[in-house]
Amino acid sequence: MSPRMAALAAILRLFLAERRGALIGGALLAALTALAGAGLLALSGWFITASALAGLSAAAIAFDVFMPAAGIRLLALTRTAGRYGERLVTHDATLAVLARLRERLFRGWAAPEAAGRLAGQPARLLFRLTLDIDALDALYLRVLVPLAAALSVGLGASLLIGLVDGTTALAFALFVLAAGLGLPALAVRAARRPARRRAHGLEVLRARVIDAVSGQTELLMAGRLAGQREACAAADRALAAADDALNRIETRLAAALAVSGALLLAAMLVAGAGLSARAAIDAPMAALLLLLALAAFEPFAALRRGASELGRAVIAARRTAPRLAPPLLPPPPAMPAPGLAVRLEAATFVYPGTAGPALAAVDLAVADGERLALVGASGAGKSTLLAAIAGEMSPAAGRLAAVGGTLLTQRTTLFRDSLRDNLRLAAPEADDRRLRDALAAAGLDAFVAALPRGLDTRLGEAGVGLSGGQARRLALARLFLRDTPLWLLDEPTEGLDGATARDVLARLCARAGPRTLVIATHLRREAAVAGRILRVDGGRIAGAARRGEPGFARALDALRPD
Amino acid sequence: MRRAPRIAPEAAMADLRPAAVVQAAAALLWLPQAALLAFAVGGIAAGQGAADMLMPAAAVAGFGILRALLDAAGSRLAFRMARQRLSALRANALEALARRSPLDAARPPSGLAASVVVEQAEAVVPHLARFQPARWRAAVVPLAILVAVLPVSWTAALILAAAAPLIPLFMALVGWRAKAVSAAQLVELGSLNGALLDRLRGLATLRTLGAVDAAACRLRAEAESLRRRTMAVLRIAFLSSAVLELFSALGVAMVAVYVGFSLLGVIDFGHWGQPLDLGRGLFILLLAPAFFEPLRELAAAWHERAAGEAALSALAALGAAGPQIQGSDAGAAPAPAGAPAVRLEAVRLRHAGQAEAVFDGLSLHIAAGEHVALLAPSGGGKSSLLALIAGLVAADAGGILIGGEPLTQESAARLRARMAHIAQRPHIFAGTLAGNVRLGRPEVDLAAARRALGAARLDAVAAARGAAPIGEGGHGLSGGEALRLAVARLAAAPHAGLILADEPTAHLDGATAREVADALFRLARGRTLILATHDPALAARAHRIIRLSPGLKEAAA
Repeated sequence: MSPRMAALAAILRLFLAERRGALIGGALLAALTALAGAGLLALSGWFITASALAGLSAAAIAFDVFMPAAGIRLLALTRTAGRYGERLVTHDATLAVLARLRERLFRGWAAPEAAGRLAGQPARLLFRLTLDIDALDALYLRVLVPLAAALSVGLGASLLIGLVDGTTALAFALFVLAAGLGLPALAVRAARRPARRRAHGLEVLRARVIDAVSGQTELLMAGRLAGQREACAAADRALAAADDALNRIETRLAAALAVSGALLLAAMLVAGAGLSARAAIDAPMAALLLLLALAAFEPFAALRRGASELGRAVIAARRTAPRLAPPLLPPPPAMPAPGLAVRLEAATFVYPGTAGPALAAVDLAVADGERLALVGASGAGKSTLLAAIAGEMSPAAGRLAAVGGTLLTQRTTLFRDSLRDNLRLAAPEADDRRLRDALAAAGLDAFVAALPRGLDTRLGEAGVGLSGGQARRLALARLFLRDTPLWLLDEPTEGLDGATARDVLARLCARAGPRTLVIATHLRREAAVAGRILRVDGGRIAGAARRGEPGFARALDALRPD
Repeated sequence: MRRAPRIAPEAAMADLRPAAVVQAAAALLWLPQAALLAFAVGGIAAGQGAADMLMPAAAVAGFGILRALLDAAGSRLAFRMARQRLSALRANALEALARRSPLDAARPPSGLAASVVVEQAEAVVPHLARFQPARWRAAVVPLAILVAVLPVSWTAALILAAAAPLIPLFMALVGWRAKAVSAAQLVELGSLNGALLDRLRGLATLRTLGAVDAAACRLRAEAESLRRRTMAVLRIAFLSSAVLELFSALGVAMVAVYVGFSLLGVIDFGHWGQPLDLGRGLFILLLAPAFFEPLRELAAAWHERAAGEAALSALAALGAAGPQIQGSDAGAAPAPAGAPAVRLEAVRLRHAGQAEAVFDGLSLHIAAGEHVALLAPSGGGKSSLLALIAGLVAADAGGILIGGEPLTQESAARLRARMAHIAQRPHIFAGTLAGNVRLGRPEVDLAAARRALGAARLDAVAAARGAAPIGEGGHGLSGGEALRLAVARLAAAPHAGLILADEPTAHLDGATAREVADALFRLARGRTLILATHDPALAARAHRIIRLSPGLKEAAA
């Protein structure tokens, strides 16, 4: 199986595992609807022709109008009700499958290796993810359901014709399958390259637009903003060329299907007349066959959209499939010897895809209750050391042991959710009293009390905006809810003004109590709360000083004042 | 205040008229095809054989092929027009965005701008290419079919015409359905994708809080609850479209009953003296569904209209009125070298939506070649002052002179060519490190970019990264590296006699901050430097310190 098909099969398995009954039922309903539509047209033609013949002869009185008329009514109702049911079932199943897909993708991306890639280029990967979910959305609704409808009508019509004449039925079936499936297959093949070009073109255009907006000042000062707009226009032209190629393919497919339908109709006209002349069938039957040919090819026209969607869906499936496998989680760090919170022995840490180690043969012991500051230039390895102690990375060599820790990341992330649910991420079982207690400890109780909706206030785009200081305090309250013996703090007061920063630090230290603290910092005020300062340089520990030693004051003085 | 020219939807429709006419003509070719088929069946009933059918069959095929080709030509035409319109709309939106001042608080962030200009704008093409021609067909094709049926049977025409007053009812149903569907879809897509992306952005936080599993379950629960709510809306929406279909089936069935009973001889009215025969009867029957078909197509295209119009208004909103940059964004020929003096006279600036002016009557004079530090706490107006001098925003009153030349709409681009700017958080462009220094400036070649990287002590990083992309689509730079990149951009602009630096060391550790400051003052030798900072140590290195305080009238020099 080609990698394309394997990826598609993985996605289909996920679909089927989630709502097998509904997905198959929806396709069957689509088939039923299409069959009823074709039957309606064919039966009407037969009815009118038979009525005309009966009207000409004396048989008019004996002609039973009620059976065919009832059949027409039944088919019309079946078609209307079938379409309604099909739409409901297929949409419900798709939404359910996509809910599951989103959850699976989230878990897949949460694996450390994937999360690292995501952190490296978030905008691009998240953009891709959105496009991919939309493309997979179309896979079932636009490709599989129309395919089921078209195939069942093609086969059903062939069987019906087979009752009359085997040779005609065989020729009919071969033509319908060859043209109805072969032409879309050719289109899918032809669309593969432009679909890739389009996916690439969208990303290029997006990157250039982001550069034009985010880099406006730089470009303007360099006299290049108009040039950047021209670059965006060039990306749009490339995208337009791919769009145009895809539209040409889709239009040609539609035209080829329509031409095939016209040829089939003409052929059936001649065949019907021939059969009728040989008295193999009567005229009403000839009318039925003709209208059946007209109706049977109609559902294949719906495959034109599906053919271009399939290309996107395959790209999406190939990109998302690796994230669907259950993630491999690194084992949590071992527990250190009693009295120690962290112990590293010649531990080396390497980021995947980089040449040198981020931390090389680091030896470190942090006692229970110790407060340790990590200082050093940006890129020296401070954040890596924090991530390693938090259990985010496994050592490539050496040993790492640490008690359970909570990492307060440099950037405060608040989610588009209520204030309460943002807090309860840290402690799912916490009641409002405990949440308010944590907010009070972070100095945010008055602010929350003043909000009209209190803890139910929604944060994020549609909700209330928080200042940088308030957001940091909220992150702090969240940390306070985590009852781990070790807190890892990455530049906890960066970006706050002096007064706010000192208040936040004081509250942090008060709340920490006997916990072990490891603080990565380049600010004097943050390092000053530590009992030991460790200088990290080039992935190694380059020096250490305890409070009271002369090196301690020197290390503090080397840091930035407020 | 200028506004980006907006493209009126009426103009877009006028462009699409030829395509709509061709597609309507293709739809009308069904008339001769139906007539041929109907009378051929009449012939078969009268005992004609296969040989007699060759001519009608060839004609049916011929009309069918012609119809397919015409329809293809029409839809290609419509697509090309619509796609060109999309390109024009994107260019207009970007032009409008480029004009908005970076100080405009309402200026959309890059993520939002990109999702409107790139993803949402895509909805314009199906809207124009499918909906507009479908609307045309819905207006023309039913009328033509009525005209074709009338000479055969006035009763059948009457039945169809009687269905015509139902059309506005159809349209109301369609509109109702479409509104509900698109509203449901917007809710569904907006919140589901938004929630997923939101959680993924905060993955690091979720992992450290041990909340990955809880967040995954919550995502699932949110999606499930949204599914239930969406389905409640869809149940009604689909019901109304089923009603629409039932109506059209009813119209066809009435025609069929009339034709059938006429042929049986039970009914003998509704024709013009000549009773219906099989051929005429079948002809009417084949046309009846085609009478309703354009309406159903229009209904199918309706939600594309909703998405398309939402995209059009989102694109227009990107260029909303607000503070604008001064002058053109096209740049200008490198200006005369040399360090200019800068003079501000009674300048007043007030941000939109704020009662208090940032400055009122601010005057200050900076000599050519002088190094001046603007010292103020955050929010003290330092960045606004630099933006005023760079023409990134227009003053409400007062005058600014650069090298003796007043800063105006006409002179802004030329005067900017004499300046270089270092931002607090420099933007890193998608591309290579060297490309990030050149920024597409023709006068900065690769060798110059390499020298500039060396001057900013980025040569080692450049050697390690090579041609690997950085910025969006590549791995980023650390804060210190980004600032050094900004220094390299400065080093690559030797003709810029005026350097504006906006808190260049605010987020750096001590060692890197010193290094960046050293490079800045080294490059500023012989040029005018205006440095905004809240770091007293950095400010002390300038020739002169100017303290700004919020809402100040006059700077204490």
